[in-house]
Amino acid sequence: MTFASRLARAQARVVSYRVSWAQLAWFGHRLSGIGVLVYLFIHIVETSMVTLGPTVYDATLGLFRNLPIRLGEIVLMAALVYHSLNGLKVILLDFFPTTTAWYRPLTYGVVIATLTAMIPLSLVMLAPYAPW
Amino acid sequence: MSVGRTVWLGNPPARQPRPVGPGRERFWWWFMRLSGLALVFLALGHMLIMHVLVQLSGQEVSFAFVTSRWGTPFWRIYDALLLVLALVHGVNGARVVITDLVPRGSVRTLLVGGLGLLAVAWLLLGLFVVVFFNPDQAPAVGPFS
Repeated sequence: MTFASRLARAQARVVSYRVSWAQLAWFGHRLSGIGVLVYLFIHIVETSMVTLGPTVYDATLGLFRNLPIRLGEIVLMAALVYHSLNGLKVILLDFFPTTTAWYRPLTYGVVIATLTAMIPLSLVMLAPYAPW
Repeated sequence: MSVGRTVWLGNPPARQPRPVGPGRERFWWWFMRLSGLALVFLALGHMLIMHVLVQLSGQEVSFAFVTSRWGTPFWRIYDALLLVLALVHGVNGARVVITDLVPRGSVRTLLVGGLGLLAVAWLLLGLFVVVFFNPDQAPAVGPFS
């Protein structure tokens, strides 16, 4: 059994119809968008603590300085990069409808570019917590 | 056979058709694309500076860091622009998701209305801080310490 058919069987257990790349790209766009929005609401409150002076603000920032939060920030960065690139793809398809013929390679490109960008980004962001 | 709105993953079009007639939805269609284009640079730039370049230059975000950063009008304008565009773009996106998932009725009105109120409150708070933050007036010891 090939890897592709194995994957198809596994997803058939979740939803009974064939999931297309278009659906996954679209769903990922919404999921990453909502995730970044939730973070933005928290981030605004966190940053407003700066008006309460250095003691309060630096203590607030201290709450965010640990490995679990840093891992969350890496997920946030990935969500933002994906949402940006996929958004650019949507704009391209909207304003130049002939590019719809390239839908699948464009979608693969967005995913590959996001993963590639995340390699150096997550290495830098993890550095203070890394054992090396 | 009808797939699409009956399944939770949804049935997305490859691209959103541009609304033809004038009106609110056409405004939001253009706003999402234009603000999205600006946010690619503003939001990614912000994350790159605050999470990557600060890290690489061995600095740390702190009260002193924010004070010196917001000492120049450029970064205040940058942050205010980023705040307004990101919040309105994100909240409108969430509104579209709610309208897709919740059928027309009182629940939808409540959710969209609540989201709008939340957005206005957070937008005012954020703008107040970015525009009026004055390090000389900030207390040395906070009210909670």
